[in-house]
Amino acid sequence: MLVFIARRLAISSLTLLAATFIMFFLVALSGDPLADLRESSLPDAPRLMEARIAAMHLDEPIPVRYFSWLTGIFQGDLGVNKAGTTVSSLLGGAMESTLKLVVVATVLAAVIGIAIGIVSALRQYSSFDHGITFAAFVCFSLPVFWVATMLKQYVAIEFNDWLRDPYIPLPIILIIALCAGLIWASVYNGDRKGKLTAFGIGLVVTAVILFALSASRWFADPGLGFPFVLVVGLATAAGVAALVAGVEHLQPMYAALGAAGVGALLYYPLQPMLIAPSVLTLLGLFVVAGLVSAAIGWQFGGLLRRQAIPLAVFSGLFVAAMIFIDRLLEAWDGYARALKGRPVATIGSETPNFLGNFWQTTLDSGMHLLLPTLALILVGLASHSRYSRASMLEVMNQDYVRTARAKGLPERTVVIKHAFRNGMIPITTILALDFAGVFGGAVITETVFGWRGMGKMFEVGLREVDPMPVMGFFLVTGTSIVVWNMLADIAYAYLDPRIRLS
Amino acid sequence: MTEKTEMTIKTEPPASNDAQGMTIVARTQGQLVRRRFFRHRGALVGMILFGLVFLLAFSSIGFGPIPGWWDKPWTGSGTVVDRGRPTLSVIPEFLGGAGMHLGEHPFGQDNIGKDYFAMTMRGAQVSIIVALTIGLVSTAVGTVLGALAGFFRGKIEAVIMRFTDVMITIPVLVIAAVVGSATGNLGPYFMAIMLGLITWTSVTRLVRGEFLSLREKEFVEAARAVGTSSMRIIFKHILPNTLGVIIVSATLAISSGILLETALSFLGFGVKSPDTSLGLLISDYKNAMVTRPWLFWWPGLFIVAIALSVNFIGDGLRDAFDPRQNRVRD
Amino acid sequence: MTSVHIAKRLSEAKRPGTTEVLKVENLQVSFPTDDGLVKAVRGVSYTVHEREVLGIVGESGSGKSVSSMAVMGLLPKSARISGAISYRGDDMLKMSERKRRSLRGRKIAMVFQDPMTALNPVHTVGDQLAEAVLAHELVPYKQAQARAKEMLDLVGIPQAAARLKSYPHEFSGGMRQRAMIAMAIINNPDVIIADEPTTALDVTVQAQILEKLLEVKDAVDAAVVLITHDLGVIAGMAHRVLVMYAGKPVEVGDVEPVFNTPRMPYTAGLLGSIPSLETSGGRLRPIKGTPPSLINLPTGCPFSPRCPMATEVCTTEEPVLEETDGGAHYAACHHWPKLAERADPTAIFRTNSEITP
Repeated sequence: MLVFIARRLAISSLTLLAATFIMFFLVALSGDPLADLRESSLPDAPRLMEARIAAMHLDEPIPVRYFSWLTGIFQGDLGVNKAGTTVSSLLGGAMESTLKLVVVATVLAAVIGIAIGIVSALRQYSSFDHGITFAAFVCFSLPVFWVATMLKQYVAIEFNDWLRDPYIPLPIILIIALCAGLIWASVYNGDRKGKLTAFGIGLVVTAVILFALSASRWFADPGLGFPFVLVVGLATAAGVAALVAGVEHLQPMYAALGAAGVGALLYYPLQPMLIAPSVLTLLGLFVVAGLVSAAIGWQFGGLLRRQAIPLAVFSGLFVAAMIFIDRLLEAWDGYARALKGRPVATIGSETPNFLGNFWQTTLDSGMHLLLPTLALILVGLASHSRYSRASMLEVMNQDYVRTARAKGLPERTVVIKHAFRNGMIPITTILALDFAGVFGGAVITETVFGWRGMGKMFEVGLREVDPMPVMGFFLVTGTSIVVWNMLADIAYAYLDPRIRLS
Repeated sequence: MTEKTEMTIKTEPPASNDAQGMTIVARTQGQLVRRRFFRHRGALVGMILFGLVFLLAFSSIGFGPIPGWWDKPWTGSGTVVDRGRPTLSVIPEFLGGAGMHLGEHPFGQDNIGKDYFAMTMRGAQVSIIVALTIGLVSTAVGTVLGALAGFFRGKIEAVIMRFTDVMITIPVLVIAAVVGSATGNLGPYFMAIMLGLITWTSVTRLVRGEFLSLREKEFVEAARAVGTSSMRIIFKHILPNTLGVIIVSATLAISSGILLETALSFLGFGVKSPDTSLGLLISDYKNAMVTRPWLFWWPGLFIVAIALSVNFIGDGLRDAFDPRQNRVRD
Repeated sequence: MTSVHIAKRLSEAKRPGTTEVLKVENLQVSFPTDDGLVKAVRGVSYTVHEREVLGIVGESGSGKSVSSMAVMGLLPKSARISGAISYRGDDMLKMSERKRRSLRGRKIAMVFQDPMTALNPVHTVGDQLAEAVLAHELVPYKQAQARAKEMLDLVGIPQAAARLKSYPHEFSGGMRQRAMIAMAIINNPDVIIADEPTTALDVTVQAQILEKLLEVKDAVDAAVVLITHDLGVIAGMAHRVLVMYAGKPVEVGDVEPVFNTPRMPYTAGLLGSIPSLETSGGRLRPIKGTPPSLINLPTGCPFSPRCPMATEVCTTEEPVLEETDGGAHYAACHHWPKLAERADPTAIFRTNSEITP
């Protein structure tokens, strides 16, 4: 194992080294770094030009420049950009900003995409499957910059306008409810009558909720409230337990309900702690929630502890997250007022000079993340759903799935235990590549939304034919690709016992 | 169903005229592929859509010396009529619309009065040619490298695959931006060839994999045993069997090619003015979203239409070439 | 294959009882495909008594596997199934999915053809065995594991306790098939359906597996439905045999009369295809042609295009399964009396040397 990692690292480092050489050459040849000064009419342009030639060693041949850059790297010196700022100082801020932007989007796109892919594989050739397939193809074909610009216009600018008077017109309610009903009906797996019922329930519930939200002007001052947390928490716990563990043996269900119930009952007692919490307090609370839920699962689980504990932990954390969101939404009113009623942000990673309490600044970050995250999810979702669908379909046709059914296992155990685990093996590679691309994958999104991250650094560096920042950027992305590929191999070996690392 | 019965059902010859049901109707691979392709509804719609876009783009403003039927040039400015609003109307009068007609400027005009229909068509021409070039060049390079690596193994394979590993370490958009920025000034077509020369990695891996498995097959062994030359084995025996994989990946390379070109042009590292492309149009007019949203909508819709139709064609081809996909109807 | 030596003979096994455990009546299965309706099973009926071994023989595509999958309820949703499949008098096709599942793996278990792919590669053998127990009763995991160990011992896997923690890829083909048999008997089933259990194995291992199957069937008092394309396997293994062709049984009866006096040319052809030292100087008598398309069956007897005895009536009228010379020996052939007149029924097929003079 260790030998494998060491060997892989050695090979990958050489690969990376060769790649930096190619990159350096290409960037150095991509244009004229003196272009702006040549066209400049400044009186001291020739002097500036000479200064830059000296600073960037333009008088030396490219390989020499490359090797001096390389020696610098081994001494921990990433060089300076045209303006003289060190690349390492640029990188620090850029990486933080990009990570914030991309990690959430990548994780969400993967989780949602895989979930959708699995459902559509299990409902192969259903209208849901066809709909998702079509939607995935559309998403595949969307230029991200076009989507991003549209989101800015319709989700930010026009949504902000609408928030002034958040009233949903009746026809819109009906159209949304109709769509919701159709989605429910297409996911439901059963006879015509069941589908009609699912359609009806989906339609009516959505319409009523939207109508209530509209009538109470909920969007102007959103919040969840204790009754919502309790009811939705219990319902989710029951639903997930029924889906994962079934209703034949109820211990897992009791464990999940117990954890959700305890969590919801702590809604009021927790409020004083949540007035001005630190990040550490919040993390601590989440950990405590998880532990308590696990204990509840252990207590109620009986013979089915293996199912009950994860279910209880999920339910407990779900309720905890709802309480967090509830508290966050409470800060909405003040936040929206501070921004003169235009809370959905279109540019940057935070409102400049905005001062608020913990909740308001968190909300501020969240609102700035909203649009770029949506854009990235929309584009990333498609490939994940396609890959996991294909992988699941492949696995569902395997002989061992048939064996599992022949044993008399319920279909959900067949899917969760036998199909899912095998289906995820090829997905890990794709996930790893996705995470590898985290640093470099958001060049366009960052440009459109004006984030000062890695992508911006690369773009500006390339535009100005400034090799140092571009190489700094590449060093980070290249390393992350190498590392993640290795992680993928290790995960592969962990998931598939047939593969031994050697 | 066991593997065996399933196989029988799937490879069962289609209903024959022979009353005895004994003779197997022979269908060539090509016939089977064509039949499965045209059964794929998405692929058919994709074909038609792509054909229409292609025809529209190249017939309207003409291409090169060939004149088109649209009278306004994509370069000339003019007087702005009605704030440059599109005059295209598709709602017939009996439905309360303004009737179906193109009008003076169907896609509207920009702020200096250029006809946006002509501009979009020029953008579509450039984007389509660039995408096709990227797709073809990268597939050709990838196929040759993959075939060499997979067939000859040994040192050739080691060198090619190490080089592929190096190229894969660089994100496509990053190296494409660098290449685009270096070659964008030399015209869109030269840039497209250069982009094709850096995006062959996935095809190489795919073709190498196919070759590796096919070279061990009995029919290749047989050909080798009777002393067939390597070149003949590659071109006569192995390549035809990898054709499906290559064609499908070429299609997908074309659809990602158009997204790559438009993204590069949007960032300013692709097609450069005075020529134009769909990505460049969106980039140029992205700030007009509020005042003249149509300047933003038309090129975007054309990108989506082209990429979507090519993707559907690719999906249809994949189904057509992969007999495992011959599905049981519900 | 007839050379397979079976140490544990059927004659040494427990005698079958008279209670009907599994009864299949007029089972029909078809699949809609792009090319048309595939009629995989066109009316199969048979009864399995307690502890009885029923052999089902046929070429691939004859519907033998599909019909057993229908019994297990493992056909894809697109399959159209009609008829009746009764387990101890209850029609399983009319049962709720839940009740059906409780029979599957508990009362009716299955051993599949290819042990290489039938076990999940990412779970341990012990876990996959224990899971079969836990699917039907709520017992502590350890107890289920203990039962799994007991079963591995029973099927003759050495060091069973240690082997529980192995993954399937660490087992040889024969061991995996033993593990599959262990999985099938772990819940004391009444019927074990074995779908070509030895086809994918080495010849040397085949006999061991068959022998083990006979042995464990007695250990749990189960009946066995043994599906195979190999008549040699049936000879020493089954009490009764059912020969299928193009989705229909064409000959049913006790093993002895069917083997000695086949009343359907197809069975005779199968017998003639077995290499043996005794028949016609070592020459084989193969059946010409291929099985018919299940989408577009020939009119009349589906075997008529390949049958050397076929006459006018065979191409117009499909023969029904009818009693031949008594003793519950049924055959579907217009000309079975003519076949009965011959001393060596397999001689209706010409040997290879006779075809090419």
